[in-house]
Amino acid sequence: MPPSWKDNHALFLIVVGLFAWLVPGAGHFALDERRRAGVIFVAIVLTFLIGLYVGSIGVIDPVGAKSWYAAQIMNSPVVFLLGRVSTGGDYPVYGRPNEIGQIYTSIAGLLNLLCIVNAIYMAHLQAVEGTGD
Amino acid sequence: MTALIGSVLGSFSTPMQIDTNPASMLWLLPLVASIAIVYKATKVRTIRPRSFIRECAILFGSIMVFIIVAALILYAVAWLVTQQLPNILG
Repeated sequence: MPPSWKDNHALFLIVVGLFAWLVPGAGHFALDERRRAGVIFVAIVLTFLIGLYVGSIGVIDPVGAKSWYAAQIMNSPVVFLLGRVSTGGDYPVYGRPNEIGQIYTSIAGLLNLLCIVNAIYMAHLQAVEGTGD
Repeated sequence: MTALIGSVLGSFSTPMQIDTNPASMLWLLPLVASIAIVYKATKVRTIRPRSFIRECAILFGSIMVFIIVAALILYAVAWLVTQQLPNILG
């Protein structure tokens, strides 16, 4: 039987990590943890969207708020595109909406980072149990 | 349909009006709920609706209690520094 792509341990972990970053919960979905994936997807996407709704896409500011942006980019590569849109300064946001929007979107990103690490760890466990090591 | 999509997208391009008042602290609640749900989703062995909701509710309550205690301590320190300390120092 030809070896499956899951047999390449490092590649398997990288692919699961990438899936988890591309779409919140996709890493767990790839590991057949569908219910867990659904919960993670709904919770993180909803948190991120609430942040965007409260503060507008202006809260994603790769120039003036680099540390917040570093956390926000953990949500998905889509944040990179939103950052390109908002860089022109067409979406100014100040005060409390800016704070709440940045906190929500950044916490969503950090929660997704937790899920990425968790998905990679679960993938590692599955691979190790699969080989019987 | 296009108008609906336009209005939905438009709502993400203008910030909400949120006043700086004690009620704005309620924005904390959905965030704490989200943190509790995602954290528990990564921790529990299998997700069964009843036990998962119970675990999330316990974590949500724990975080809220901790935040309220921290807020009370900070309030007491601020009260001491701004109200009592000037009287003591004359």
